[in-house]
Amino acid sequence: MKVSLFITCLGDVFYPGVGKDVVELLERYGCEIDFPGEQTCCGQPAYNSGYHKDTKKTAKHMIQTFEHAEYVVTPSGSCAVMFKEYPSLLKDEPRWKQRAEELSAKTYELTQFLYRVLKVNDTEASLQARATYHTSCHMTRLLGETEAPYELLSNVRGLQLKELPNKQNCCGFGGTFAVKMTPISEQMVDEKVEHIEETEAEILIGSDSGCLMNIGGRIDRLNKPVKVMHIAQVLNSREA
Amino acid sequence: MAQGTVQNRESFLNNIAEKLGRERRRSSVEPPTYTKQPQWDIMVDYTTEQLVDVLKEQCTAIHTDVKEATIDELPAVIDDVMKEYGAEKAAVWDDLRFAEFGLTSFMERPDINIWGSAPDEDDIKITEQADVGITFSDYTLAESGTVVLMNGGGKGQSVSLLPTYYIALIPLSTIVPRMSQVTRKIHEEVQAGRRTPSCINFISGPSNSADIELNLVVGVHGPVKASYILIDDL
Amino acid sequence: MPMKIGDHSFDQRVSKGLGETHMRETVRSAQGRLHTNKSKAEEDLGNWEDWRTLSEEIRSHTLENLDYYLEQLSDNVIKNGGHVFFAETAEEANQYVKEVAVKKEAKKIIKSKSMVTEEISMNEALERAGAEVIESDLGEYILQIDDHDPPSHIVAPALHKNKEQIRETFERLKGYDKTSKPEELTQFAREQLRQEFLEADIGITGCNFAVAESGSVSLVTNEGNARLATTIPKTQISVMGMERIVPTWEELDVMVSMLCRSAVGQKLTSYVTGLSGPREEGDLDGPEEFHLVIVDNGRSNILGTAFQSALHCIRCAACINVCPVYRHVGGHSYGSIYPGPIGAVLSPLLEGYDDHKDLPYASSLCAACTDACPVKIPLHEHLIEHRRIIAEEEKKTTRGETYAMKGFSVTSSSPRLFDMATRAAPIMSSPFTKEGTIDKGPGPLKGWTDVRSFPAPEKERFRDWFKSRKKEDS
Repeated sequence: MKVSLFITCLGDVFYPGVGKDVVELLERYGCEIDFPGEQTCCGQPAYNSGYHKDTKKTAKHMIQTFEHAEYVVTPSGSCAVMFKEYPSLLKDEPRWKQRAEELSAKTYELTQFLYRVLKVNDTEASLQARATYHTSCHMTRLLGETEAPYELLSNVRGLQLKELPNKQNCCGFGGTFAVKMTPISEQMVDEKVEHIEETEAEILIGSDSGCLMNIGGRIDRLNKPVKVMHIAQVLNSREA
Repeated sequence: MAQGTVQNRESFLNNIAEKLGRERRRSSVEPPTYTKQPQWDIMVDYTTEQLVDVLKEQCTAIHTDVKEATIDELPAVIDDVMKEYGAEKAAVWDDLRFAEFGLTSFMERPDINIWGSAPDEDDIKITEQADVGITFSDYTLAESGTVVLMNGGGKGQSVSLLPTYYIALIPLSTIVPRMSQVTRKIHEEVQAGRRTPSCINFISGPSNSADIELNLVVGVHGPVKASYILIDDL
Repeated sequence: MPMKIGDHSFDQRVSKGLGETHMRETVRSAQGRLHTNKSKAEEDLGNWEDWRTLSEEIRSHTLENLDYYLEQLSDNVIKNGGHVFFAETAEEANQYVKEVAVKKEAKKIIKSKSMVTEEISMNEALERAGAEVIESDLGEYILQIDDHDPPSHIVAPALHKNKEQIRETFERLKGYDKTSKPEELTQFAREQLRQEFLEADIGITGCNFAVAESGSVSLVTNEGNARLATTIPKTQISVMGMERIVPTWEELDVMVSMLCRSAVGQKLTSYVTGLSGPREEGDLDGPEEFHLVIVDNGRSNILGTAFQSALHCIRCAACINVCPVYRHVGGHSYGSIYPGPIGAVLSPLLEGYDDHKDLPYASSLCAACTDACPVKIPLHEHLIEHRRIIAEEEKKTTRGETYAMKGFSVTSSSPRLFDMATRAAPIMSSPFTKEGTIDKGPGPLKGWTDVRSFPAPEKERFRDWFKSRKKEDS
């Protein structure tokens, strides 16, 4: 099976390690990884800020970039959702809308692809640690994926997963929200960190680099002894 | 009843039609057949007994005491509840069902005001001074623990509202699963061209408020306690 | 008060809100409790998504045919002997109500809770006409006696006050001498207000849903004050936003079921009352005269736009109760009597962007609101649409943001520029980097690094790794 990887801009520049785990994971299940080098960003920062004319250019570029793909997989619920937003963004241009719908239909977030398409619920990973999982908003509410990450994590050997209190609340990232409404975002991420501490987790796991960059950045600033890991890294962990 | 008046209607509604981008709609609008109608699946095949169980369970959630009585026991059970409340003066509806359910002598007591019998038509004042208001339930909703009162005439809306306590007499024959069954009946009455009673109450227990720190306080402007007496009339 | 509250800037209001520890504690625990209650109510009901679909269909059919249903409603109200006034503006509505008060020589007017009368500042208008207006909803009563403190929540208006503050207000202004127990405070309000009800000449209520087929007004309450206001006074005036209507009693059932569950997690509130005109012949209570005021006040401008579904709102506050931003800043920070996500959508629509242009940005777009809405209003999408209008049509964003976004879009639609930019990222950021993180970022990064570390870009991008790996393989 050929899988075209959309690594996301954050994944490309800041978290290349996550991408390596994604590649290894998918290859283990016989996927042939295609990485279209023309890919950039999904355009969400501009879209969410209301610059839709500009976002359309980005969207069209990404549609072209992935037009040949059989499946598009991305290690981000939020970026997957943005791809699925393209048809409505391009609703006034029927031909582009059609192409956007095709892209939308074949786009999957990583755990969703593993669980729903490859029918994997155990990646045979092992990681001895107490951990908690942050359910990112876009993945849960807009992509509607609430099962896949939990199913996959539940089968990681040695991982003690404790539910995060108030897990439904946003971590305060929200893209430009984090820099535009800093004082509010700060309170939101602080409360998230409080709840993470309540679980006594050593590791915070998430499926979206944006949220992890936010929560991890705050944890780092506050010198809390919690490590932040992308779910791909956990699912690809191999401990002796 | 003299017909009322309406002002400013045409320009107001024309503007709405214009904003909606079409001509005024003046006829043949009907609610569509909705794609989902989950309200009709709720407790659809429940027996009265099962509905009574649901009602009783719900009453614990709405701070409402439930008593059960046969028609013969009814006067004594009402007395018991009044004693519990320390209530002496009662206000009741002028409702034939009181006689039908063997409460004729109860109604003749001096400390009871039957709605509409006060001198100078001062029923509101007398009812306001009563310790307890007693009415029958016209329909009873199991799901929400609700008594439905079709007020009007001898059935004054004040009786279930102004006294400190409230007792609803609930013949088991009035129990239906939920609000849907009653609103459908009202809807059918409207379609048959009958005027809707000027006040219909759906009452679920005593008055309450959570306006202070979201702490529930039972007993605000309406009755501070409520009791339902279920009467086996089947 | 108009919709807009106070003259402080958005940032000032937020900073004040964030500093109100009592308020934040109260809101936090209220949200927790409401979340639990609503989830339980959804579960008890079963088929919640079907109920939402049904509710959305009802609201959208009604709004699409609003002129028809309002005509039917008004026909039926007058048939029942009531009077209907269609008010295009707040002023028209207030003028009409004032005229009724003058004609009735009303000295005392008792009100039950109504957001639309807050929106159009009806109390002030009536007070100017010389009438005493008394709010009877416990929360509204607390706010009214505390020098007309504005509501901070559309269902629990005094949510920002804790019981000790309320006790202090009662003591200072009403001679209250008991404790801060909610039971005692409530009992005191009951005693204070009962007499007012008995003396009131006019009762004013809002309207949760009018029923077109029978000319009825429904009121959904717990305290019983709306019942008192419509039972004792000789004249009743109900004021409704023009969109608060259902076709028949069958739709009323659905909307009330959803409202009670979504607002407070109750199956039904203690009192759901359907009022159809003035008292009939032979009735000894209920109003002798009934007036229905139907208010537009900017709502019709929302019809036929991308925002039309905002008019589906049933004012349950479910979106407010799950909003993580509201949770921290509280209702007053929004600067509008309609706070939270629905307030951030509605306020700019009803009063324009000048006073409310920050509100669409007061959201992380987490979509908790959209998810919670019982009538499926896509609230977070409406917030994005507001941002689009502000950026592209009103051109009210800062020049810095506009350039940044243009730059971003040019870069992300050009692989060559994107490659250059991401390749340059580690070099550009190296002056700010320490041990793999950036602690004091430049320009737009400042807001980020004020409270968080920012990761330094890795030297080898994913794409470089992937390319070199491919080479090795072959």
